[in-house]
Order: sequence, then C-alpha cells, then structure tokens
Amino acid sequence: MSRFHLIAFAFLCTVAALNAVEISKSLIRIEATSQEPNYKTPWSPGDVSSGVGAGFVIDGKRIMTNAHVVSNARFLTISKEGDPNPYLAKVLHIAHDCDLALLTVENPAFFKGTSPLEFGGIPEIESVVSAYGYPLGGTRLSVTRGIVSRIDFQPYSHSGMDSHLAIQIDAAINPGNSGGPVMQNGKVVGVAFQGYSGDIAQNVGYMIPTPVIQRFLTDVKDGHYDRYVDLAVAYRNLFNPASRRALGLEDETTGVQVCSVYSGGAADGIVKPGDVILKIDGHTVSSDGTIPLENEAVPLDEVVERKFKGDKVQLDILRERKPMTLTVPLNEPWPFKLQSNLYDEKPRFVVAGGLVFQPVDQNFMEAHEPSNQRLNYIFDYFIDDELHTNRPEIVVLSNILPDPVNAYAEEFRYSVVDEVNGHRIKRIEDIAAAFEEKADYYVIKFAGGGRPIVLERKAIEEARSRISERYALTAEKNLEK
Amino acid sequence: MKCIHLLRAVWLALILVLAIQSAPAEDNASTQESASQSLLRVNSTNQVYDFFRPWIKKPPFSRRGIGALIDGGRILVTAELVANSTFIELEKPATAEKSTATVERVDYDCNLAVLRPADPAFLSGMQPLALNGPLKVGDQATILQLEPNGDIAQTLGRITSISVGSYPSESGAFLLFKLGAPLQQRDGSFTLPAIRDGRLIGMVMRYDARNQSADVVPTAVIRHFLAELDSPTYQGFARLGMAFAPLRDPQLRSYIGLKEPGGIYVADITPKGSADAAGIKKGDVILAVDGLPLDQDGNYEDQDYGRILFSHLTNTIKHPGAVLPLKIFRNGQTLDIPVTMEVANKDQAISETHLSDEAPKYVILGGLVFIELSRPYLKEWGNKWASSAPQRLVYYDAFQNELPADRGRIIILSQVLPTPDTIGYEDLENIVVTKVNGHPIKSLADLSEAAKKPVNGFQKIEFEEDPKFLFLDAASIQSNADNLKKHYALPSLERL
Repeated sequence: MSRFHLIAFAFLCTVAALNAVEISKSLIRIEATSQEPNYKTPWSPGDVSSGVGAGFVIDGKRIMTNAHVVSNARFLTISKEGDPNPYLAKVLHIAHDCDLALLTVENPAFFKGTSPLEFGGIPEIESVVSAYGYPLGGTRLSVTRGIVSRIDFQPYSHSGMDSHLAIQIDAAINPGNSGGPVMQNGKVVGVAFQGYSGDIAQNVGYMIPTPVIQRFLTDVKDGHYDRYVDLAVAYRNLFNPASRRALGLEDETTGVQVCSVYSGGAADGIVKPGDVILKIDGHTVSSDGTIPLENEAVPLDEVVERKFKGDKVQLDILRERKPMTLTVPLNEPWPFKLQSNLYDEKPRFVVAGGLVFQPVDQNFMEAHEPSNQRLNYIFDYFIDDELHTNRPEIVVLSNILPDPVNAYAEEFRYSVVDEVNGHRIKRIEDIAAAFEEKADYYVIKFAGGGRPIVLERKAIEEARSRISERYALTAEKNLEK
Repeated sequence: MKCIHLLRAVWLALILVLAIQSAPAEDNASTQESASQSLLRVNSTNQVYDFFRPWIKKPPFSRRGIGALIDGGRILVTAELVANSTFIELEKPATAEKSTATVERVDYDCNLAVLRPADPAFLSGMQPLALNGPLKVGDQATILQLEPNGDIAQTLGRITSISVGSYPSESGAFLLFKLGAPLQQRDGSFTLPAIRDGRLIGMVMRYDARNQSADVVPTAVIRHFLAELDSPTYQGFARLGMAFAPLRDPQLRSYIGLKEPGGIYVADITPKGSADAAGIKKGDVILAVDGLPLDQDGNYEDQDYGRILFSHLTNTIKHPGAVLPLKIFRNGQTLDIPVTMEVANKDQAISETHLSDEAPKYVILGGLVFIELSRPYLKEWGNKWASSAPQRLVYYDAFQNELPADRGRIIILSQVLPTPDTIGYEDLENIVVTKVNGHPIKSLADLSEAAKKPVNGFQKIEFEEDPKFLFLDAASIQSNADNLKKHYALPSLERL
C-alpha cells in the first residue's frame, strides 16, 4: 500500500466561485497537533508534529473530516472561513478503516452563521464535481473542479489494509488539505482523501463516496464506532471453462470460487473452500465477482460493506454441485488486523533484563524494518497461513539495551519468542506474567530452536534500576493499547 | 629490568626483520622460468540455465583464468571458473598453442576442479607444480598472473589470516587463507595460482580490490580434493550436519550446569545428516571432537594452523566414512558418541542450495509451468532475492531443516503460459502444489505420474495457498499440447 500517498486536494477554479460563497459557510479549517508514538522506543511518548486539514459542518453540530487529519491528535483547533479565531475541538468518533472522523466544538458560538451540508448519492461517470479545501499556497479557501473518472474498490491507504468503494476524479493534487467536501448540485458527494504522488500518476485523486460516509454515520448512531464487518473469505474468478464444468456450473450460470475461509472470521465453519458463490443477498454474482448495484458493477463485498455488526448476509452457493443457501451472521469484525496501520494506540512492551519485548504489528514493522527472514514470513503470512491460530500475537525480542546482564543476547534481535520458563508466549501479557513468576533462571526460547537466552533473576534485579536510569525508561512495561 | 626487556624486544624485532627479508630467498628469474612451465590459460565458455524459463539457457559468457599443472597431468582451477561450462580451452602462455579440455572432476563445495586436455601430449615439456605444506600468518606468497605476451606477472603478498570461512557455494565452511597483495587488474584473472618457493600454496578464488585481499583455497583443501579423486569413488567433503551457537554466556553455562571450560551448543540438526544419524540432539553441548577439546567458540588447536574452527577437522582433515568420537554434555552427563562422517545427501534436500551443470527439471501442463523450489531459482530475483522473492518460498528454503523429514521437494506452479486451457489462471505464480488428482506431490516425477490419471476428465491441481485448487480439461490439454509447444517454442513439455 506504500505506493499510495495521502495528499490533499486543491482544485483551484474560478468557475465555482458562486458555489464557493455558499460552501464557505460550512467549510472548516482544522489545525491538528499530533503525537506519533515511536515503536523503537515504545516507552517514550513520541514526537509532536502539526498539520492542516479541511472539514465541513454536517447536521447535529458535527464536523466531518478524514481520520488521518486528526489521528494521534493531542490538540485540535478549528476555524471558519472569514472568522480567523481558533476554536478548540475534539474527536467525537474516528474510523481508521474508512478514513473518516467526526469532531465537536465545545463553544456553541462556533456554529453561529454556519449551515450544515447535506449528502447526495453516487455521481455519474463524467459528471463534474467541485472540491473545497485548504491546500498549500495560502490559508484561504480553495476550490478545484474535476470530473468523475472511475468508481471502484480502492485500497484506503490510511489503514493500508482496507479496501472500500472510492471515486476517482481527475484533478491535480497538492498536499495539505484532506477532509474537504466534494460537491455536486449543492450536495456533498464525497470527502477528498487520497491520491497518487506526482511521480506515479497525475490528475488522479480519490474521494470517499456517500455509501461509505452514510455507513459511518449509521454505525456511530449508538454512540460507538464498531468498524466494518467482514466475511473473511477469499474468492476468485471463475472464467475457466474446465473449472466451471468441474464445479457444476451450467452454461449461463455465473459465480466465484471460494478459496480460503479464514478461521476466526464470520464465514468460518459456514462457507467452505470450493463452494461457488452464485448470489449474495439475491444479487447475481458474475464470473469476476461483481454484482450490479445502483447501475454500477461493484465487487460483491459491497453488500457486506454496507452491513453492521449483528447483521446477516445470505449466500446462494453450489457445494459439490448441489445448490444451498447459507446465512452468515456478521457478529464481530475480523480480529486480525495486525497488518494495518494503527493510530491512537500506545505501543505495548515489556522490558526485562534490558531485553525489550514487543508485539509485532504494521507500526512495529515500519519503525524497525527488521531483515529477519523468519519474522518477515510470520508477519507476511500471519493470516494466509493462519499462523494466528498458534499465536494470536507475534512477540519478538525487539531490542537489547546493552548491559552486563544481556551481554550475549545481541544475535537474538527480532527473534520470535516461543516460551519463557516453559510458558507459551501467545501475547505480550504472557511475557509480563512469565517474568513476574519467581524463578532462579528465566529461560527464553525462540521460534526455530537454537540456543535459549538464560537470565539469572539475581542479575535481572541488580540490573533493573541501572538499566532504567541509563536508558531513561519511563516505564518497564505497557500492556494497554 | 626495563633495559633488558627493551633489549630483548630489539633483538626480537631484528630477528623478525631478518626473517622477513630472508623469506623470498628465491631468485625471481628462476621462479619465472619454473612456474611458466606449469601454467596454462584456461578459457571457459559457460552457459547457465534460466530458472524462470527452465527449458532455455541464458546467453553464454566466458571466464578466463590461470590453471596450475599438477601431478598426474591434471590442471587445477576453481570450480566457479568452469561452472556450467559448454566449452573449455587451454592455452600455453608463451606460444598460444591451444587444446580443448574436459572437466575430470568438479566439486562446488570446495570450489575446485581438475581439467584434462583432450590430447595428453599437449602437456609434454611442462612441469607440474608441487604442493606446498602448511603456512602461518605473516608468511609471504606470490600470486601469478600472465601478461599478454605470456610473461609472468608476480605480486608478492603476505598471509594476513588463516581461518575457516564460507566458500562461494555457501554449502560449508572450509579453511581459507587471506592473502594481502596489491593485485593489478589483468585479463584472465578469474582463477590464479599462488606460490611460495616454487610450490603451489593455493588457488586465488576471490579478490577484494578495495582491501587488497585475496581469498585463497589452501593446499589442505586441495590435498583432500585430490585424495578423494584418487580414491575408488569420489565422495568429497563430509558434513557433521548441524548448526551451533557459541557458549560464551556464563548465565547459560551455569543454567545447563556446565562446569568444564569450552564447548559449543548444538542449535540445529540437519535431518538424516551425520550428527542426526549418530544421535546428536539439539541442545547437546559438544566438548571435544576426536579427542581435541573445543573452546566456547568451537575452535580446536590444530597442529598446522593453530586455533581454528572444528569443521576443518571434520570436513577436510577427515574423509567420508571416518568415525569421530564426539564428547557430548547432555542433561548433566558427559557421553562419548561416535559419529560416522558422511557427505550431505543432496537428494534429501527439500530445496537445493546449489545447482551447476544440471538442467533444471520442469513439467508444463496445459500452459501451467511446474518446477522444484531451489535456491538458484530464488536467486533469479537478483541480489536482494532474500527480500524480493516470494517470502513463503524464501522461508521454505532457509528453514528447510524444520520441515517434516518426509516433506519431499517443494513443487511450485511458477508461472502460466496463457493458452485457451488456462483462461482465468494467467495471474497465478509461485504457489506451492500439494496434490494432483488426489495424489500428494513430493517431486516433479510425482506430478508427472499423477497427471497421467485425470479424474472424470479433469486434472485437479491443489495448492497450499489461494486459489487452493483449479481444474484443467485433461482431453483438451492433450490435444493442445503440440500447439503449446509450437507457440512458445518449447523443446519439450517436461524434463525430469
């Protein structure tokens, strides 16, 4: 997903000036001071940085923007067009999986003179849209204009793991103001959120379309964001005539072949590898996995995308050539998201005898970039090879704070911990618990065998305050996200 | 007291200086004359198979080096010089007289090969080089190169280190001399002999120009290679078949209750290797090999080379079939375990680490290309293959010791040559095959056999990963086979 670079939109265009006067009553400039934790020194609070983004007022005295504008925010101020005064704001709801957030303002005077924007539908291909925001080159409102180029599923680069419906528009993109509204006929048809960097492609920008926005607004109605639900099924096209015949598809029938059904996911135990999905909630699935929805061919996932925790989805399938109807309850979101970027979370860690243990996730991998073949495999194939059934978390020895107690541990950096004193390490909590247990020796065994690290309790205790002082540890562990 | 010490130091220094000056006692002219009668240019045209398209060879390239004539009418070169050779030519330096040659034996483990001219009479009038005995760090030696006119260019160097190090095949650690010498860039220097007092001390196999350091295959390794060559059956270099970790950490030593000094920790055992067959286990501590105690880094005191890694003893001094007693510390007890040293059985490798002179196997079924996983295949991804090749395959190759011993070869669908039979499969690549028509696949031969038994007219191919399985129309791929061969200019649809 690294090929995606989040860049704000700036479609400067005077033609839209008339609209701009109206819109300016709803447009918000957001200044965010954020603090990003450092996964190399997980005990330190992290560097502080600030950025600017856009947002707009919607009903209920709420302000909509992108999640990435306000991620890890410590201090938020917002201002209205034509009123330079900053107002304190705070995050009401944030959805990292679809890059949307809602803010509130403590001072009710802020909303005086503002008018909430309303949402429209999916704009037609080739129709003109206008995007509003605060790109580089000035602090005032800027408007740009483009046409709808494509409507498709796209990876959302904020999380790096999620794909949802997104609308591509042709417009030059400049960094600096994500979260602004994209308008058509006076209604919001999308939230500008990402583009390609200029050296990969030009005039390619993406907005979050209203089905995704509406889903987010519906999800938070109960005061809590529950995240997207997922079938947790991999499927594949069924173009091949031999595969089609072997699976029992008639000439006119279309569908897709179920490949992996991930254990721990919603469809686990209900759908089976080798099933052919013919229909999803009554929509006929074509050979490439798309369904017709609102005059567009969209991936069948879109049906599940629009559902919520507790909803069900109905699948018409062929299993061993026999038609069946399955109902999959979408109770909990897919739990194994360690390959997605994480925000608003504190790094978890345990330090013992100068050895730093951390659970591995995308943030960890990005900070450390370990070149350990075993760790890279376990991380890359954690879901595909269902490695999470053995260890829900990958715990590694991430760093060694040099001290006489750990003088011979350097070679074990980035090794995956299997056991401490015979206790299987399945989560970072297990490490903390193992070192709390009294023992003369702590024997740490790693995946793949090899020699263990042995630390004497006596030596750990002697080294404890020495290491904390020398390396300015503010804590010896943090187990809370 | 101080004065005396100083005096002694001066004397020592003087003696050292004298020794250094007396070392190249030989006359340069005589070296030139005698060595020139033992050297041959070796021009080898090599052609490597393309592991991505195993039915073709990559463009030929040539490697040129200098071979040393040794006893028995053999010309000694490095294995790398003649790896995947299609044509080898010998050339006399002075007269440019040429003869074709064949490889009598090549061993990629020790990076050595011996060649023979097609016409033995080609060597008449030449003098074989004798092999020198052991050297010490600080000894001088001369690297020989050839000028275009056939004159010998000599570069004097000094042995800077003697250790057990890794050889290009990465298949083992052998004795290695580092020779510090300011070698000049000359054509035909891929392999160069190094001599001292007119006797061969080894073959230069690598030169690091920045550090002016040459890696030399020493005579100890050459002698082992030649002795194997003269034995009834060539076996090569035996392996203990284990990985070890040093035992320096006093906390670890105290935890396992090790009171004796030295010893190394057995970290990994190659299934069915020598150590495995003898019953050595992960977690054992090896205290001594063949009665020679090991220090905590695995070094023993060698009578010729001083403190060096035990593998020199196990793979080079000893020959395959030798029985070595190992002193083992296990669960607080000391045991003596005899280990019969055997060469690594390459057929048992799950992924072969080195393949030269061998045509890679493949099977093409309806346009789906199946191959065996091997390191040369992964290396087709370039210098950064370990991070850029598919990580599951890299993992299987790197950690093959941890896979079940009966895993067999890893067969992968490497790519798809699109045909009407493979519509919808064009994007599949580098996925591991588990079964074909219900039969488990542990070799390409298994796959080829299983494909002869389609079920209900379909070839069903199952994979470890998505798409998990696919079907081909058995009759259709059979009738399209000739077209497939013609379209993609395939010499054959399988090579087993």
